[in-house]
Amino acid sequence: MRLLIINTLPKEHLLAEKAICRLEEKTAECKTFYIEDMKITPCIGCNACWLKTPGICAVKDDYEQILKAYLQYDVTVFISATALGFVDYKMKHVIDRILPMATMYTRIENGQTRHVPRYNKEFRFGLLYAGKGNQDYLTQWMNRFCLNFHGISLGAFPFEAWEEVCACIS
Amino acid sequence: MHFVIISGAARTQSKSNTAKIIAAFCEGLHNCGNTSETWYLSDRKQWKSAKTAFEENENILFALPLYVENVPGIMLEFLAGLCAKEWPGTRISFLLQGGFPEVSQGRCCEEFLNTLPAQLGCGYGGTFIKGDMFGLSLLGEKIGAKLLQPFIEIGRQFGENGVFRPEIIEAYSTPEYLSEKQIRMANGPLRYVQRFAMRYFAKRLGCRTKLDAKPFCEKEE
Repeated sequence: MRLLIINTLPKEHLLAEKAICRLEEKTAECKTFYIEDMKITPCIGCNACWLKTPGICAVKDDYEQILKAYLQYDVTVFISATALGFVDYKMKHVIDRILPMATMYTRIENGQTRHVPRYNKEFRFGLLYAGKGNQDYLTQWMNRFCLNFHGISLGAFPFEAWEEVCACIS
Repeated sequence: MHFVIISGAARTQSKSNTAKIIAAFCEGLHNCGNTSETWYLSDRKQWKSAKTAFEENENILFALPLYVENVPGIMLEFLAGLCAKEWPGTRISFLLQGGFPEVSQGRCCEEFLNTLPAQLGCGYGGTFIKGDMFGLSLLGEKIGAKLLQPFIEIGRQFGENGVFRPEIIEAYSTPEYLSEKQIRMANGPLRYVQRFAMRYFAKRLGCRTKLDAKPFCEKEE
């Protein structure tokens, strides 16, 4: 199993580093992106990735390597701080940029409109968070987010429950 | 009443569907004697003024597009920089718009928005959700004006009370889900119309590849 970790917390965050080490031990191959070392700017909502250069983001920063990695790895675990009960804006900026993975085309699935996926891949996403996140809401949001990107949510867990993430990915 | 409207859209004001909706909404809002000021978070130079306006005023409306099931990252960043108000009297409302037609697509975001006013020391004036707004900029002025028309009335009714009353939501925030007939049409003949229209718009924007291109696959599947 190949694991991708996207960490928006500082490298000095001890709980995050501990969790990353444990997750690396559990997997055959693991790559971690430390967002603090990368230039990732917010989505500008230009729709170029859907209508002008399909699948390619118009914002030229370090994000493209993350897009490629989503396709190369079996599971992605996001590691994030929380604010207002939700993921913090740094993680939301990262996740907002995932739009090129969907196409502009839509279809109705189970009674709701969905974007047709760009790639023939079932994504598996999980969230590990620091701080006072609302776990019920974060779990619901991850489910919705995965539903619209034709993926499976592994759930949302506080750091204290990192073993549950390990169980989900093994 | 005086309203502070803060657009959480990431797209620049001149190309923003949310900005068009705000303009129509304000037409109705002003028709019943209200005044407003609007700040656009897509322009970071406006953030300081938007924050001051939030701090100094009591009627706040955030207008935003649905972005990956929640508020856009830039709006979350702005919210993170606000301090909870220490005195009562401020009310926050939300006008949430999305590209998909079903209002139900916005419910997950609405659940988060419901929690924000209390976290910011404010009262809650409700959330109004409207879908099917993707084509606002693409479909031309005539169809755009038709899509925007309801927002004038929504703005007027909002302006009378400063909240989204259940009657406004019931009348204009629809459909929760598409009907069986609409689903059959969408997955049937309309699918081909949609694909044709999207390819047409893409070509006009200078697109030179297929809309379902897979640029990060060595070979297309």
